[in-house]
Amino acid sequence: MAEKKAQKKPAEITQENLDESFEVEYMSRWKLLVRAFRKHRAGRISLVILLILYVLMLFADFFSPANPYQQYTDRTFAPPSEVHWKYEDKLVAPYIYDVMSYRDPVTYQRIYEPASVIENFEGVNTDGEKINYTLGKDGVTAISLVFTSNITAIGSKSERSLKKSTEELEMIPLSKTDMMKEGGRTETITDQATLKTYLEDPIYSYKVARIGELQSVSIEEGVNAVSVAYEDGSKKKVNLSAINQFDLKRFTIKWFVKGWEYKLLGFIPMDIHLFGVDSPAQYYIFGADAYGRDVLTRILFGSQVSLTVGFAGILITFTLGLFLGGVAGYYGGWVDEVLMRATEILMSIPSLYLLISLRAILPADLPSNITYLMIIVILSFIGWPGMSRVIRGMVLSIKQSEYVEAARAMGYPTGRIIWKHIIPNTSTYIIVSATLSIPGYILGEAGLSFLGYGIREPQSSWGLMLAQAQKLSVLEQYPWLLLPGVFLFVAILAFNLFGDAMRDAMDPRALGH
Amino acid sequence: MFKYIVRRLIMAIPVILGVSFLSFIIIQAAPGDFLDQFRMNPSYSQETIHQLEIKFGFNENILVQYGKWLVQVLQGNFGHSFQYHQPVYNIIWGRLGATLLLSITTLVISWVLGIGLGIFAAMRQYKLGDQVASVVALIGLSIPNFFFALLFLYMASKTGWFPIGGMTSINNSEMGFFQSIGDYLWHVAGPAITLGFSSLAGVMRQMRGQFLDQLGMDYVEFARAKGMPRKVVVYKHALRNAINPLITMFGYTLSSLLGGAVLTEQVFSWPGMGRLTIQALNSQDLYLVMASLLLSSLMLVLGNLSADLLLAAVDPRVRKRFQ
Repeated sequence: MAEKKAQKKPAEITQENLDESFEVEYMSRWKLLVRAFRKHRAGRISLVILLILYVLMLFADFFSPANPYQQYTDRTFAPPSEVHWKYEDKLVAPYIYDVMSYRDPVTYQRIYEPASVIENFEGVNTDGEKINYTLGKDGVTAISLVFTSNITAIGSKSERSLKKSTEELEMIPLSKTDMMKEGGRTETITDQATLKTYLEDPIYSYKVARIGELQSVSIEEGVNAVSVAYEDGSKKKVNLSAINQFDLKRFTIKWFVKGWEYKLLGFIPMDIHLFGVDSPAQYYIFGADAYGRDVLTRILFGSQVSLTVGFAGILITFTLGLFLGGVAGYYGGWVDEVLMRATEILMSIPSLYLLISLRAILPADLPSNITYLMIIVILSFIGWPGMSRVIRGMVLSIKQSEYVEAARAMGYPTGRIIWKHIIPNTSTYIIVSATLSIPGYILGEAGLSFLGYGIREPQSSWGLMLAQAQKLSVLEQYPWLLLPGVFLFVAILAFNLFGDAMRDAMDPRALGH
Repeated sequence: MFKYIVRRLIMAIPVILGVSFLSFIIIQAAPGDFLDQFRMNPSYSQETIHQLEIKFGFNENILVQYGKWLVQVLQGNFGHSFQYHQPVYNIIWGRLGATLLLSITTLVISWVLGIGLGIFAAMRQYKLGDQVASVVALIGLSIPNFFFALLFLYMASKTGWFPIGGMTSINNSEMGFFQSIGDYLWHVAGPAITLGFSSLAGVMRQMRGQFLDQLGMDYVEFARAKGMPRKVVVYKHALRNAINPLITMFGYTLSSLLGGAVLTEQVFSWPGMGRLTIQALNSQDLYLVMASLLLSSLMLVLGNLSADLLLAAVDPRVRKRFQ
């Protein structure tokens, strides 16, 4: 509508208008197309997004911080790593801590907490002497601390100790560092609701009952010893009176690190990755999946499937559709009749059922790359009928045009008329509908893999990754498993926008004709 | 008119036959059959399996099997399901309620909202409202159904506003009549919103485009020039003309009424036709799959027919062509 309004205005002769008419007159079709496309903002943005996605896909190995097939069973569903920018109130290069995990005794869930080993420790022993240990110096291989905790119940009649425990930890949870710096901590619980849990606890209730009415519970925490392991296997334990200073090992996020070996683009052997951290820590930007594999890495490798099925699919579909549609439209008669009935039959079967039954014909244990090819072939098998019907319609109308008749009168062979005169005239439609049909292939593959008929573990695809989030208990606690869906959505949205922009750009009016 | 309908139905027969034959061949071409699970099981003797093979007709040529099945179907018997030990007819009948409930609520959501938003957007062309509506439509068009379903489920589990799957609450049988209906609607909300959101976009875009085309026509300008109130011109003249192509579209969507939506039903564990068919495909429950496929291709034929008939019902020009 806006274009129409603009045309109605009397054209003023300005430099701009002159330039415009000059461009329309003398630019090549391709240049005009690019010019029209550039005016489309959403199309430009989507093109950039697609380019980024495809670059990430091509160099997936390089961009991935982790090996996509390496499982870390002690890190299943580990949450996204927390990145720290400050250390002791000073800005430093971004770093993360390692994580430790334990099972929640009530819910049996694995709970992760940032933690790290001690790199450097200064303290005072019970004799008043200063001690100092550094990891890797004087043959020190590990520094662990002995934590004590003491739970005491205070009743109206007397006090009673409920639980005393000592625990030697090499991995120090981040949550304990404040307590360590303060040199121990005592917490007093007077909250009635929490106290009630002590009264009802099967182990404590017996002890609590004997001290009269429970008034409070105090929990004392502290560190009473440091234990040092040496290279030769010996161990030394020193009782502490104070901690002066300690540093937890920080894992700085490094650029261009050495990691697992791969072949860039399939033939250049390399082991450099864009970023990463030293082992044993793992840098999970998007968290980990059920096997402790990095979700980001899996997404990048999954895109190698999800982003290529579309192109490979339309290549087959369009070859088939062009050929069969062209033949049906040009020759007509019984060829047309048979082909069109065949397309009708194929289009009458719901596509997902057809996909799955076709997949079921093939053996389930094919090698992964064959499975991938088969999925593309199956998807194209579903796609060609619609395509060839449209091409047939176009060929039917173009066949009537004078230039085709002229070509026929000049005695050109039929094949040449179809390929040189008729098909090129359908090219605008073909390019646009190709772009707009890519999302269908992406969705088809994702749906198949989601249901377990497509790409299989350990290979990766966005649909397959989403299948892990199908269980509600998983989905509820580990929402980062939904991220492949976001990528799926963005890719499809970008293709849709790009296709719309192409359609607008290829519109003869936009080209100035 | 009657002649036309009969001709259309007769023309559909070879297509439906083709669909059934092709599906039969494809399903039977898959390695193994329903009895594989018994062959693996040592507690079934060779003899029992052989008897079962004869009972199910697996020992015969594929073409003979197909012929027998076809004769059966023509007699109104869709055969027995292997896994449910029940006539296929009963099983599909049992799933019909859930399937229709979901597809009808989906239809209502997508069409009421789609037409409303389409009119709204067309009336505010290129303004903020139009742009917001088209962004919503674009999102609906681009978001994969099963991903949206998972997002919805996540939201439901975190907020508790919606149930997390299934069709009824556990205590549904104890509820009163209206409470029970409310319970059904509460459960259908998730899958229906998921499916409705994705099909809303098509309706909305079509409505907006058609409406704008009509508003630009000369007769609208003429009616306005004649001094007719804007409301009457827009809602009585332009809207009625704009809605015609949508009626055809509506007819086509009728064909998906009984098809079910596999992925969405899977995520919401909705007991519809989609899941039934997938499970049947998985266990190679041949006759159940065949009945379901036959049903959907029949619905497709009827849907296309109803699209034409609906258009004839509302548009006198089309009606004239039939006569």
